Amino acid sequence: MSNVSSVLRNRSARIALIVLAAIVLVAAPLFLPAFANQTLVRIGVYAVAVLGLNIVMGYTGQVNLGQIFFVGLGAYVTAYGVNHDWNIVVVFLAACTVAGIVGLLVALAAARLGGLAIAMVTIALPIVGVPLAKRLDEFTGGSQGVSARFSDAPEWSGLYSDQWQFYIVLLVTVVAFLLARNLVRGKYGRAFGVVKENEAVAASMGVSPYRTKVLAFTIASIYGGASGFLYLAAVQYTSPETLSFGHSISLLAAMVIGGAGSIIGSLIGGAYYVFVPQLTNAIDPSFTTASQGAILLAVLFLLPHGLVSLPRVVRRLTRRRTARPTHGNPPQTTPAPPPATEPASEGLEKTERQDRS
Amino acid sequence: MGTFIQLVVDGLATGSVYAALALAIVLVNQATGLINFAQGGLAVLSSYIAYAFVQLGLPLILAILVAVVLSFFLGALVERFLVRRFERGDPDTAVVVTIGLLTLVTGIAAVIWSYNNLGFPSLFPLTSVEILGAVVSVRSIATTVTIVVIMVVLQVLFLRTKLGLALRAVADNPNSAALSGLPVGRLLMVGWGLAATLGAIAGVLVAPQLTLTPGMLDTALVYALAAVILGGLSSPVGCVVAASAIGVLENLVAVYVPLIGHDLKIAVPFVLIFVILIIRPQGLFGRKVVVRV
Repeated sequence: MSNVSSVLRNRSARIALIVLAAIVLVAAPLFLPAFANQTLVRIGVYAVAVLGLNIVMGYTGQVNLGQIFFVGLGAYVTAYGVNHDWNIVVVFLAACTVAGIVGLLVALAAARLGGLAIAMVTIALPIVGVPLAKRLDEFTGGSQGVSARFSDAPEWSGLYSDQWQFYIVLLVTVVAFLLARNLVRGKYGRAFGVVKENEAVAASMGVSPYRTKVLAFTIASIYGGASGFLYLAAVQYTSPETLSFGHSISLLAAMVIGGAGSIIGSLIGGAYYVFVPQLTNAIDPSFTTASQGAILLAVLFLLPHGLVSLPRVVRRLTRRRTARPTHGNPPQTTPAPPPATEPASEGLEKTERQDRS
Repeated sequence: MGTFIQLVVDGLATGSVYAALALAIVLVNQATGLINFAQGGLAVLSSYIAYAFVQLGLPLILAILVAVVLSFFLGALVERFLVRRFERGDPDTAVVVTIGLLTLVTGIAAVIWSYNNLGFPSLFPLTSVEILGAVVSVRSIATTVTIVVIMVVLQVLFLRTKLGLALRAVADNPNSAALSGLPVGRLLMVGWGLAATLGAIAGVLVAPQLTLTPGMLDTALVYALAAVILGGLSSPVGCVVAASAIGVLENLVAVYVPLIGHDLKIAVPFVLIFVILIIRPQGLFGRKVVVRV
């Protein structure tokens, strides 16, 4: 593993790796069967939603139980726009904007109460969202849902629809991930990190915790809206079931299991969201929820930083075993900084006050 | 007028169920600083346990008592083996733990009893009585009275007994409590056990009306959280008042404001929250938390 990371540090090797990955991603749908493409598309859809959740939760430390609401909102806006023959770029922007504005309004109120109020308020979003979607049947088609076909492959491309959808999702997902990566590594990412660690420290450094939380939540909502657009591109249909409470919990579980505060973790989370229910459904559908809870708790106990930290933990364990075979692994409850994506954290040493809690 | 009184009494009954759940949440929060999102899930599990004992042929009241006692131990065990590790750490991680627990408990209930609605026998007769010309169901009144009695008992426990004093000491300052010789860990288990007991009672009281499903109390949990936000996390009385107000208000709005109606009445407490949070961020009865650095 260590030689892998030293290779990654080499600039030209890294560029070569990125180019290789890009070629593989662009070429893959042409060779893969339709089912594999559809699965990859769905991973992309949920990876964007998980990424948004990660920005507000993993990076800023604000528990958000309503991310699926913004996915559903984005999907409905997309369906509405497509069925009214808007330009597809306008539809995409509308999906992001509407979700962002609603997210902003929710955050403006929720972030006022400190601590866990955002969690307590956002849990209501999917629970209010489902009856709301059923009620507003002019826009949403009620319980029946609404379908919108805009992601069929055009004639000139000579592609199958699943390949075309793959490219749409790939484009948006890659842009979303690059933007998120730059965001969390830059000025705002550091602000998020300080607010997560200690709001008083953030305030003393001139970073308003309130504004930072609202910003993070709004960005997360925009990602939710984008994910909703992609959802409609992939599934071409949405209904109130899309934004049910259970899905919101699954999204959160996917984020934690993939790795909170990690960009790659979001991708793993998206894959988890798609694969594991498929797997458990194949065994026994009634088992899905229980296994999800068990996996989530197991990850929290054994791998507090999610699956993305697995290589690091394995490396540490093996190194420790070779160095000091008798020394046990001390339980760790507060997350240590994840590797590359962690914003600089100067001046965030724990104070006595925090240890008291 | 008759409808109005009936709506208010029914609202108080549902409100008291929300209040019980909200109190359980406040109890856990006061003791450990956590919001237990699994409180509703645990209560559903308790109701299923009571259901199982009824199926085994136990009389209803006995089944409920057994389930309530088991819930106490269930809550204590959850604290000891699941939550303990995350109590002193990052509160957000701890919240995710309770969400994992909610998912797990819901899933276990679904595996054992399936997602189908199960009828739960009512503890109280389903008859109605006439009060001031309004027809009011006995169940609503009995539910309210039961929960009020339990709240009074809890209040006495906390304010008049040594155990209550110890629980409050641990909640206030675990380190000092430990230094004065209190078994902090065991008291935290008792706190969680009591919360689970409270949830169990709320569960079995509301189960006949909602019918048992694994997600039976998801909505009630949302109401309870709304009550907790409105009442303030530090104020049990505030929570009870807020929960009752929510119960009554949503019932009235559902009937008298056709725009909202029964399907959207859950939005009522949240509109209220938005308005109140803008005006009074610490909640109606909560104290403003001042953090010293």
